[in-house]
Amino acid sequence: MSQLKNLKKEWKAIMSCMGCGDCGYAIRPAVGRYLTCPVKEAMEEEGFEIYFSRGRMNVLKSILEGQIPLSKELAEWVYQCSECGNCTEVCHMSQNPYIVLPTCNWIDHVKVWEALRKDLIEAGFAPLDRHNDLIKYMNDDKKKNPYGEERNKKFEWIKEFPEIKDKGELMFFGGCTMPLRQVDTLRSMMKILRAANKEIAMTNEELCCGSIALRIGDEKSISAVIKQNIELFKEKGAKTLFTACAGCYRTWKKDYPELLGEELPFEVKHITEILIELLNNNQIPFKEIEQEDVKVTYHDPCHLGRHMNFYDIPREVISKIPGINLIEMKRTRNNAWCCGAGGGVKSQFPDLAIKISEERINEAIEAGALILTTSCPFCIGNLSDAYEKMDDSIKESIKVVDIIDLIASKL
Amino acid sequence: MSELYQKLERIVSEKRISDNIYVRHAYSRNVSSNLQGVPDLVIRPSSAEEISEILKIANEENVSVIPRGGGDCEFGGSKPIGDTGIVLDTKSMNNILNLDEENLIVTVEAGISWGKLNEYLYHYGLYTGCLGPGSGMTSSIGGGISHHSVGGGGCAKYGACTNQLVSLEVVLPTGEIINTGSQANKHSKHPFNRFGNGPDLSSLFCGDNGIFGVKTKVSLQVFPKPEFASYKTFLMPRKSLEISAQIMNEIRQKGIDVYDTMYFMDLVVSLGIEYGMFPMWEHLKRKRGIIFYTIEANSEVELAVKVKQLDNIILNKKAEEFGPEISDGNIAKWHYVEQGHWLIAHNLWGLIPGFDPVDAECKVPINAYPKIMRDLDQWDLEHSEDMQKILEITGMRPVTGSGPIIMVKNNNVELTCGFSSFTSYYNGEKHTIIEEINIKLWKSLLERLVKHGVMFYMQGDILSRLMVDIDGYQKEYYELMKAIKKTIDPKQILSRGKYNFWGNNTDN
Repeated sequence: MSQLKNLKKEWKAIMSCMGCGDCGYAIRPAVGRYLTCPVKEAMEEEGFEIYFSRGRMNVLKSILEGQIPLSKELAEWVYQCSECGNCTEVCHMSQNPYIVLPTCNWIDHVKVWEALRKDLIEAGFAPLDRHNDLIKYMNDDKKKNPYGEERNKKFEWIKEFPEIKDKGELMFFGGCTMPLRQVDTLRSMMKILRAANKEIAMTNEELCCGSIALRIGDEKSISAVIKQNIELFKEKGAKTLFTACAGCYRTWKKDYPELLGEELPFEVKHITEILIELLNNNQIPFKEIEQEDVKVTYHDPCHLGRHMNFYDIPREVISKIPGINLIEMKRTRNNAWCCGAGGGVKSQFPDLAIKISEERINEAIEAGALILTTSCPFCIGNLSDAYEKMDDSIKESIKVVDIIDLIASKL
Repeated sequence: MSELYQKLERIVSEKRISDNIYVRHAYSRNVSSNLQGVPDLVIRPSSAEEISEILKIANEENVSVIPRGGGDCEFGGSKPIGDTGIVLDTKSMNNILNLDEENLIVTVEAGISWGKLNEYLYHYGLYTGCLGPGSGMTSSIGGGISHHSVGGGGCAKYGACTNQLVSLEVVLPTGEIINTGSQANKHSKHPFNRFGNGPDLSSLFCGDNGIFGVKTKVSLQVFPKPEFASYKTFLMPRKSLEISAQIMNEIRQKGIDVYDTMYFMDLVVSLGIEYGMFPMWEHLKRKRGIIFYTIEANSEVELAVKVKQLDNIILNKKAEEFGPEISDGNIAKWHYVEQGHWLIAHNLWGLIPGFDPVDAECKVPINAYPKIMRDLDQWDLEHSEDMQKILEITGMRPVTGSGPIIMVKNNNVELTCGFSSFTSYYNGEKHTIIEEINIKLWKSLLERLVKHGVMFYMQGDILSRLMVDIDGYQKEYYELMKAIKKTIDPKQILSRGKYNFWGNNTDN
């Protein structure tokens, strides 16, 4: 049996799970809580408790006690989790700062799932096949991105923007998803920054941040990357590094300092923090809008919201866009329903990811929104994939648009 | 794949049945981690008819079946006793079938949670009155009915959730499907009354801890949620245990239909503050017991009258009122307005990592609980040696006491008392000794409580069997219960082992 090195470190969380099951079933309208686990709900009739936290914690108790082993079969269950963290939000959460139910102090489910994933990898039961491909691509010197594209392709878009410098105090970290899958959004970003006369720098030496490897549990394969990336941006004179990807943001802002055990030598920001500065300084010259306000709703990406407690700034940004009326979905902020892409679900279980996104799109329609926006390319990718598969009536009801494209469309 | 599996797979789709080792372990515990039983199979049925067929096969094959709602029993009620049997996970039977707005009766599938049902009713200005057990966000209506549940809000006014029961659809252990109450008349179109058509057989299944039938459909009386409510919290004077009981008794004697009243013992308040649970009470110089009430009314005038009556009772005992906001210490507002009623029972759980409740949920007369709690202090002293052994491993001694003491209709309170101890897996190691001490002390505590005449309502694995082991039941009562079980479940298929009807042998 594996040494369970990582799981044992999480024993406090595992043994503190009381098994109340709110991580699967909680409905508490007074605080905006309407169910918890997107995977369990998407599984429908197959939704055994192994698909949500309580059942998984029971399994982990049995594993720690030596009753059952790790296995490849277990890995198949475990990776069907988007690590959205919604279970942590509901776990003994009073949702009021004046009352703290103590169990909530000990349980961070995402940390537990990642510890389990690390042990599964160390025991040779993971990564699963498609995750293995992603990691192979990331470690391949000719690629260095999880999409398996040629290394230089990520940086081709920069050629369109000669004003992007190679060094500077404000440096953009492009990541992999936008440059390889949503390059038009990067063009939109540059349209905004050009209009605002905001200079940025970027380097074509940046490496994939390693988010996907971390979420899969393959910490080892990125330990060198972290140091290289930090050193690179330090050398380039970065005082602030910003990214338009929620996954990269979480990785840079939270994982890197945690893994290194020290603060980074520069500040890390999400693009919405740059945008709100520009908006507050009236640096973005919007077109005059004559038509009626359009109802827009914002989907909180898990890597920004629950993982980083980053809820207000994107909403402030949207509220400042002329001609837009920001409305909320039934489940919002810390109660937001995940898009289903995270935690490696999109790559390994694409149908599951799409099914979860369909629910979120329907929720946006129910709220009365004509535009569903968000600030994460991974969410945009999955929501868009789901959108493409949905009925024409859905497509007539709503559009899925990145927050950056939304702003650019008003210039 | 076993023959049994194949037979069952023909009843439910393959997606709804599993004998996978990990799925089985996922269902091997309820709220208490001290009790475990790994089932052979887990099935998620979608209808009474499927359950009926499953039970018929279970009888043919002599395999036990354990119905499971929300899985929130603290006493191992919805996992097998021993590693055996089929767990029936009824949570996918969670539809609302009918709301009779005229007669205020809602009919639901039994796997629906109290949270989901009340969310639905809210849109009609209705609620279930008693909001089920303290775990009502997850626990099912069927589970609540099977345990006479209280504690999730509203039980001072409405009593146990079974008070609201109008009719049931139940699958008997041998597979027959029956309807109770008004629906025993085959011509009755909609449930409207429980009492009539002969004896009240609904009651046979109320609080049965899942031994007499599987509830599949439940009709409940529902109530208009009053427009006005007040909720106040008070710091008690010294001797708060006795005084809180006097307050509750006076409320009853004056006939005030208080919606909820709860008392937190001095220990809960002081420990809670020490461990950062109650930032709203951190300013307190005297960390004494705390009591709160919630009262509902249909008009401002009615509310003002009731509030005055309640305030007089409490303030006359020299209690001090907190300000109106939660930040002022008014936990009653959180309980009622922010639906904290489904979380409040979780208060001392997890005080430190791996701290597990080892307790009893029982109903006792209001005037009895101070004496019981004093005796529990004595019980704790008597077991110091064992408690010390746990301290030596974990660095902390188990804590004896009670969670919030909750007023229940009929001059009762719900007492969730016992001790919080550690799970046997501590800091990277399984300590069998902790488990042994926990079980030994648990049984000793429960025996002590039984001798106080308490009424356990959620009995599960450990309490149902202990009552028999220690000869707690009146002999004739137990024999009748056994005779009924033998008649309707001759092979003891359903929840085999509970109440030790066939002795301690769970293999039958």
